[in-house]
Amino acid sequence: MSSATPSPVPSSAHGHHKRHSILPAVSQSGPKPPVQFSSSCTIADSALLTGPHTIIVSTESVIHPRARLESLGGRVTVGRRCIVHERACLGAADLQGRYHKGSPDKEGRSMGAVTLGDYVTVEVGAQVESGGTVIGEGTTVGIGTRVGAGAVVGKHCTLTANSTVAAGEVIPDYTVIYSNGLRRIDRRGVSDLKNKAQARQIDVLRRMIPSNPGKFQ
Amino acid sequence: MFGNNRLPAFHPGLTQSRIRDTTTGSGLWFPGLRSPPLPSESDPANDQLPLPITQEDLYDTPMAPFNPYTYIRCPCSELNPYTKRTPDVTAQGLSRAAQDDDDHTFDPRAARSNYSLYPLEYLSFCEDCHQIRCPRCVAEEIVCYYCPNCLFEVPSSNIRSEGSRCTRSCFQCPICIGPLAVNHVETPPDPNQLLSPDHASSSHSGSYILSCSYCNWSSTEIGIKFDKPNSIHMQLAKLRNGGETRLTAKERKERRKEQASQGGGGGSSTGQGEEDLDTLLDMETQFANLKSFYQNQLSDANGTGKVGGDPSAALGNLGFDAPASLSRIMSLYTGSSSLHDKKSKSRPGTMREALAPSEGLQLASLDESSAITALQDFESTTGLDAYSSTASTSQLQSQAPYLGASPLHGLTRFTSSLRPIPYLLRTKRSKRCPQCRHIISKPESKVTTTRFRIRLIAGNYIPTITIKQLIIPGLTPPPMPNLPPDTIEPLKPAQFVLTFKNPIFESVRVTLATPATTPGRFPAKVTILCPQFDIDSNTDVWEEALKDNNATSSSSQSQNLSSSTGPEGSGPGGRKRAGTLRPGTAGGASLAGEELGPEVGKVWERGRNWTSIVIEVIPASLVQTAKRDGRGPIKEDEDVLEIPMFVRIEWEAEAPEDEIMPGLSSAKGGNKDGGKEKRELAYWCVLGLGRVARTL
Repeated sequence: MSSATPSPVPSSAHGHHKRHSILPAVSQSGPKPPVQFSSSCTIADSALLTGPHTIIVSTESVIHPRARLESLGGRVTVGRRCIVHERACLGAADLQGRYHKGSPDKEGRSMGAVTLGDYVTVEVGAQVESGGTVIGEGTTVGIGTRVGAGAVVGKHCTLTANSTVAAGEVIPDYTVIYSNGLRRIDRRGVSDLKNKAQARQIDVLRRMIPSNPGKFQ
Repeated sequence: MFGNNRLPAFHPGLTQSRIRDTTTGSGLWFPGLRSPPLPSESDPANDQLPLPITQEDLYDTPMAPFNPYTYIRCPCSELNPYTKRTPDVTAQGLSRAAQDDDDHTFDPRAARSNYSLYPLEYLSFCEDCHQIRCPRCVAEEIVCYYCPNCLFEVPSSNIRSEGSRCTRSCFQCPICIGPLAVNHVETPPDPNQLLSPDHASSSHSGSYILSCSYCNWSSTEIGIKFDKPNSIHMQLAKLRNGGETRLTAKERKERRKEQASQGGGGGSSTGQGEEDLDTLLDMETQFANLKSFYQNQLSDANGTGKVGGDPSAALGNLGFDAPASLSRIMSLYTGSSSLHDKKSKSRPGTMREALAPSEGLQLASLDESSAITALQDFESTTGLDAYSSTASTSQLQSQAPYLGASPLHGLTRFTSSLRPIPYLLRTKRSKRCPQCRHIISKPESKVTTTRFRIRLIAGNYIPTITIKQLIIPGLTPPPMPNLPPDTIEPLKPAQFVLTFKNPIFESVRVTLATPATTPGRFPAKVTILCPQFDIDSNTDVWEEALKDNNATSSSSQSQNLSSSTGPEGSGPGGRKRAGTLRPGTAGGASLAGEELGPEVGKVWERGRNWTSIVIEVIPASLVQTAKRDGRGPIKEDEDVLEIPMFVRIEWEAEAPEDEIMPGLSSAKGGNKDGGKEKRELAYWCVLGLGRVARTL
């Protein structure tokens, strides 16, 4: 399952490190997952979707190039109007390399690997581990953040760059995690404004990222 | 080839941290990076050869690769640089044992030497004195003050009057000290607000707030909004947390003048009858009130007793209210004349203390029950989480003083009473040599340019030393397996290549000297294979290329050196191009042709403006020495192999022309050839080669 479009191979052969962005994207390495894409979502061509379980991307969500969605631990659900940036990974393995499977919830249904609410932004390089992890509506998962397996992050939270949420932790709504693990409650009351800004950003991104959902179906 | 002697986050003076900072590689200091007790200490019966030791056995944290470093000692740390041979019988004698005396060698592990060792990047050079200057001995002068946020240059007169913080719109978040941005918010008008009286309105209908983009704090959390997006500092001075207005110093003065004129007569108002003794004053208000009250008292006290009636008012109108000027003027009239009433002069006049908050009185609230109930009922009354609403010590300490908040000195504990912090101004400084007052470094006074008008750094005058371990494939014995990288095995000779790179445009002769064994608890034997050598001048690359083309492979390629002594070692193919690493044919080929290793007395390799030599070290065994001498386990960084080295550089420079009479020096003729004079510079430096492995 190699990628269909050939990327230009850099001609230099010095042997030193090349920029990652000009290298061709890693070709599909694992099983091709069953997908459920909304008609209005935007999936970049070089996004990486692997795993045996279903991957669901809802209305108007944007998956950037080279984002990874791994359903090795369970189903991955991306809500409406979400943005998943480059090199972010939904359903990642933990630091020891294990893919957790979530424990079933009260009604006995499987929690799936990762569930993103609506209007969630997952920034560049963030790792959301699999195992029943839930990211609430409107939350921003910052650059390089690692959300542990099974963590439940509330609504409209802000996880600033390089922060960590431990496995299984429950973060209340409107929390800001900043500095070296400090927490505080965000009282600005700007949730509506943020949602509107997200919708506008998605409008722009849809025009900039060429979508190719057919490649994954 | 020339290595990477990068030295992040160097902190002179922190004990041992200068070594630690290089070894962690990231420039951070970890308190946990500590040497564990010796593995064999706990088991005295274990006298056998240890099993192959892994990195995890030797160290409780994985060791970062060690970067060899070079630190240079500034001569300013000598106690008596001009009189070296003073006999010292005092207690200083012991400390001077570690100092640079001609007989004593320099000990890099002495606590004192930690303060005088600097990497080359930190040092400057005075061209007049021809001496190294370190950050400790230069004299600094301020060129300009500027705000690091808005880059606005503040004239120094403003510093005195308005303080050393930015008075425009630059603020730091009180929670996370990130920069605050001014944002526009549209607030729906509150109909109840319009009905309340003006001076009791809780928040103005302003539509700008300060917000932090990192921790998402905004000034609405302390109830402050602004009318205009600029000059926030001024607007903030008039607001308290919660939106009540506050009087600034000017307004207070005006009010006081109004009251004084209304009250009629006496300068200080002794009582506003209805004034509440319990009004809480903030620090600035209280200080200003007290100050004006005491000034009034002093002028009153000097005034009464001389003239009956209303002396203070009369003199106050003249503006002579400083006690010094008063007494000076009054002594004109009261010196030894008969008008002088000696008795009344000796009485200083009665003064009283402040009686009301308008005079600066602030009653201590001994009844703290209200504060306690506020703390206990915090969560129920405000609905906020008490832990995150408590201001931490660092948050309280970073608050700017005298900023018109509700009293902060120990009386409030909540984040709702914190105020945005105006940015502290920064300075651009110029440095001067302490002895000859020559300017060493001078930045441009324009804030946005980072260039320098004058910049004399040591890197442009003294040779750079880079260190690399020498491993010859056929000759060097292979290291023990499982040894951590960059460690040196004890009791086995190890060789290092030192590369000296010459920055100046004349060729230099370098003479090196080290003590035969390094000072400290684990002395290592050091041998410099070539203690005296020359480095060619730092000419252009093209010049060298052209010369190479013209010259044949003769060996006399060393440029403009007056004399070359024996150990020069530029054999066939002597001068290599910079960058090639063909080992030691310059110093290598012995008579029998069997040895390819470094030879005593010969340079290892040579290039356009650099020379490499080899030193050999034989470290001591750590484990056995520590067991025997009973001084306890190996302390942190005691296993680092450091060599103190004395470097002496000689070169010929152009003699400076006499400015008054140009051409005189050439008319004087050549005592030296062509008007050159010999110069030399000598200093101690410390080479950190690596860590000694704890195998023996």
